[in-house]
Amino acid sequence: MTAVVSDVVAAGPLTALWIWSRRNKAAALGGLLVVLVMLSALLAPWLAPHDPLEQSVLNRLDPPSAEFLLGNDPYGRDILSRILWGGRVSLFVSTSAVLIALVVGSAIGILSGYVGGPFDRVVMAMMDVLLSFPSLIMGLLVVAMLGPSVGNLIFAIGLTAVAPFARIARAPTLVIKEREFVEAGRAMGFSHLRIMGVHILPNVASEVLVMGSLWLATAIRTEASLSFIGLGVRPPTPTWGGMIREGFENILDAPWLAVFPSIAILLVMLGLNLLGDGLRDATDPRLRHE
Amino acid sequence: MRRFTIAAGAAAVAIAGLCAATPVAAQKTLNVAMGAADLGALDPHRTATTQDKAIIGWMFNGLVRIRPGSISPADIEPDIAERWESSPDQLTWKFFLRKGVRFHGGYGELTSDDVVFSLKRAADPKTSAFSSDFRAISDITALDPYTVEIKFREHIPSVLGILTNYQGGYIVSRKAVEALGDEFRSKAVGTGPFAYADYQRNQAVTLAAHKEYFRGAPRIDRIVYRYIPSDASRDLAFTSGELDLMFGRADQKWVERMRQTPDTQVLIFGPGELGAVHLNITKKPLDDVRVRQAVAHAINRAQIVKFRGESVFQAAVSIVPEGYLGTDEKAPLQPYDVAKAKKLLAEAGYKDGITLKAIQTSQPSMLSVMEVVQAQLKQAGINLQFEVVDHPTFHAQIRKDLSDVVYYSAARFPIADQHLTQFYHSRSTVGTPTAVTNFSHCGMADAEIDAARVATDPEKQKALWKEAQRKLIEAVCSVPLAGNTQVWAKRGKLDLGYDLKGSLSLGPLITEASTLR
Amino acid sequence: MIGFVLKRLLVALPTLLAVLTIVFLFVRVVPGDPALVILGDSATQEALAAMRQQLGLDKPILVQYAEFMAMVLTGDLGRSMLTSRPIVAEVLDVLPYTIELTIAALVIGVVFGIPLGILSARNRNGWADYATRLLSLIGLSFPAFVSAVLLLLVFAIQLRWFPVISSAALDDPSARLRSLALPSFNLGLIMVAYVTRVTRSSMLGVLSEDYIRTARAKGVPARLVVWRHALRNALIPVVTVVGLYLGVLIGNSVLTEIVFNRPGLGKLIVGALNQRDYTMLQGLMVIYAFIIVLCNLMTDLTYGLIDPRVKRT
Repeated sequence: MTAVVSDVVAAGPLTALWIWSRRNKAAALGGLLVVLVMLSALLAPWLAPHDPLEQSVLNRLDPPSAEFLLGNDPYGRDILSRILWGGRVSLFVSTSAVLIALVVGSAIGILSGYVGGPFDRVVMAMMDVLLSFPSLIMGLLVVAMLGPSVGNLIFAIGLTAVAPFARIARAPTLVIKEREFVEAGRAMGFSHLRIMGVHILPNVASEVLVMGSLWLATAIRTEASLSFIGLGVRPPTPTWGGMIREGFENILDAPWLAVFPSIAILLVMLGLNLLGDGLRDATDPRLRHE
Repeated sequence: MRRFTIAAGAAAVAIAGLCAATPVAAQKTLNVAMGAADLGALDPHRTATTQDKAIIGWMFNGLVRIRPGSISPADIEPDIAERWESSPDQLTWKFFLRKGVRFHGGYGELTSDDVVFSLKRAADPKTSAFSSDFRAISDITALDPYTVEIKFREHIPSVLGILTNYQGGYIVSRKAVEALGDEFRSKAVGTGPFAYADYQRNQAVTLAAHKEYFRGAPRIDRIVYRYIPSDASRDLAFTSGELDLMFGRADQKWVERMRQTPDTQVLIFGPGELGAVHLNITKKPLDDVRVRQAVAHAINRAQIVKFRGESVFQAAVSIVPEGYLGTDEKAPLQPYDVAKAKKLLAEAGYKDGITLKAIQTSQPSMLSVMEVVQAQLKQAGINLQFEVVDHPTFHAQIRKDLSDVVYYSAARFPIADQHLTQFYHSRSTVGTPTAVTNFSHCGMADAEIDAARVATDPEKQKALWKEAQRKLIEAVCSVPLAGNTQVWAKRGKLDLGYDLKGSLSLGPLITEASTLR
Repeated sequence: MIGFVLKRLLVALPTLLAVLTIVFLFVRVVPGDPALVILGDSATQEALAAMRQQLGLDKPILVQYAEFMAMVLTGDLGRSMLTSRPIVAEVLDVLPYTIELTIAALVIGVVFGIPLGILSARNRNGWADYATRLLSLIGLSFPAFVSAVLLLLVFAIQLRWFPVISSAALDDPSARLRSLALPSFNLGLIMVAYVTRVTRSSMLGVLSEDYIRTARAKGVPARLVVWRHALRNALIPVVTVVGLYLGVLIGNSVLTEIVFNRPGLGKLIVGALNQRDYTMLQGLMVIYAFIIVLCNLMTDLTYGLIDPRVKRT
């Protein structure tokens, strides 16, 4: 990505983005979707027509109407407002988890690759241990152990993503640390921290970021799955997975309950996957040739 | 690619191999679904959870039983005991056993030895969850192979009540308990119309007809009792014809929809279960009675009833379920009044409202009621914070006294004593060695509860129970919300063989006379 | 080859040991009291204490650890606290269900995914490519429980082709296949998506390499180029991905088993969690760890089979 953008970066960032979007229509569309969903979640307090927690027993399980555009849930709460607010929670949890995993994982990967030797072997073995549990199973166990609070969910989902980031950051580090400019830096007496931060990190960043957008999709899915199993953020706080679970329980009485949050998840996942793909195609030199 | 073809071929062969076996001959199989994730235990003395009660009722007998379809103590009739007699002071009872009662699976004939063993087992806290019911028993002896004598230390409200086909009253096989050891928990052996045949964890228990059942061979050959925790999954399986009988949802919409489903009968029956919010009177700010009163005034029972539906939910009349012997049907409960609630809070020095913590189960039917309560309390400035945990954790943590507020829903033997003792007697307080389910730490009515238990005059007994309820309500130990009946659904082809008004095992009894067309 | 296998095994061992220790510690910290779950809601404190003692929960934690390691090393995972049955037996009861589900999903993934991937790569930027890519993206974006609910509603409720309760007995072949259809399709969906994508991108990579260009230039028919020369090389990443995503499959099988009421490892672990069946949880985690380590090992070995260069490194 860095390479692609830097071709045109001289023309100003907006123009650069425009040109890049023209070249990667799918990725741009994905990015747009993600931005839209993120914005709607961020602006939920202003966009939501109702209080997401306000119950109105008389409206329970009502179909979509003029006042409640997407209908009401079993407590008579407004589904549209809950989707908007729920997006906030789901996206906050998954984004924080991925960011933490990204930072921690990359740091571990770079350090491990840079130091090398037995240290590297031990660290990578530990990462293998982490990797050996499927993310949903690990999330399940951690949340069951600690209880389903927002912080614990972030921790659990983050934990599942540390190892992949460590791996992806380590691979290029191994190559780059043998390069002349790193050798030169070392000869000039730069500290290890400086070499890792200034020379290695930028070269690892693009791959890590691409991975980040793809893992964000996984994190959203994991969060939703945990909520669906019943290990999500505690009620009455809305989350997409929790809403789908509630919708499934009422699928014969009120199918719209499950449909709308499912569409929300589908859209953001689609957006992230499109974006991630586009970014990866752009960074993968093999595919760029043709 | 060739290797892949081979791998795929091998997989296909493996799958085919797994399937290669002969199908079973057609039998009359009753397909039942329970709203729980798994079996707790089939050992009747060890399990008190709803999901096990129904199936245990099909496998065991008591010395006496309440006629199938009823829960009224007036309908008690002989079961394993043919007849019985009691001394004038009601402290010594003799039971004469029926001859030729046979246990499942070759464990032979039931004798007085099994009865003595069973009741002693039910009275021992090491082997039974119901030992507190048998506290008054001083001795149980076998006079001969078909006669059992039971001696009581003191008078209790209903001797036959604790010896019915319910909880500790179920009779198990001594030989089987001793031979199976720990395995008895899932492979229990009784004398009832259906016997344990198979258990698939998280999936199903299969029962087979007990051909030597003393009332005659059952007309249904097999029962598959499935565990399907999701309400929707059960409904879907019922709709697609894969179930004949299922645990329902105490919810108006559900009842209405099922009533419109072709070939479907909704079963609504007793005993009434009462959901109450127990307030821990030892924790701040709930130690102030005005705060507890505020909570009581802030709760709108009528709205909760409307939320779940009037055909299955009724507003609570007292802290004891409606219709039990001894329930004060006009108990002085605090009425819904938000303004008064706010005023009381202000008087207690909490003008800006209070925050209470509730450990809450994730079980949908209980959680949903509490979510309504949460919204109601908010109107009065009471912020109820949930810590939602799964059902087993919920049960563990509320017993460790970790929650300010405990929502608990229970049905007991329909006599006020059991309910009052387990929830409001200081001996039952959580965190003590004799704890049962007293979450409020209340004990102000101990004297009345104890006196009522041993009272011989029924009128005096009722008056004592009424006074106990008044005291406990005045102190706001709990805020009773709403009672609900048991709700199941069945297909037309299942004929229970009796008129279902109630069932202490909380599920329809399947007897030797039940048929499947 | 044997040396290669041995070396991989040696690497796998310490991993396994570390996992075992973590598993042991993990299970002890989960809150909740199994005695209470077993005894139910009106049990007395005395009864609860007796049950805890019977379950061995009152012993010092180090003793519990030593016993645990000794048991695992002898291949005995102990007994379930809840049913008193050996855990290995409990797992073996449901393992066929999970294995058949996973294999069926893998087969579906490979059978549909590889041809779709090739189709997509050969028609790069054509409509077939776009359609395939879009479909595979949608496949990736569907959380397993959403697709499961959809499949259930359409094929079990509306069309009545398949049962809602997908747990036919082992002895009824036609019912067995019928009950496998929906769950395996649901689980296979995501695999199809992954395999399609990887096949496509690795085909594109291979097709652009020199020897393929040479083959083309020499006039070797396009079909032959694709199937004989390119595919073999393109399959290497596919195998890795299949191995890598076995974990995703195992994770998603939990959701699939729940929605389709199917017995299996996933349902067992969720059940054990809810029931605080400590010994079962511990045993299941050990088994999961074994399965994953085994999968990784098999992926490595298959990799070695397809690409002889790997053996030397």
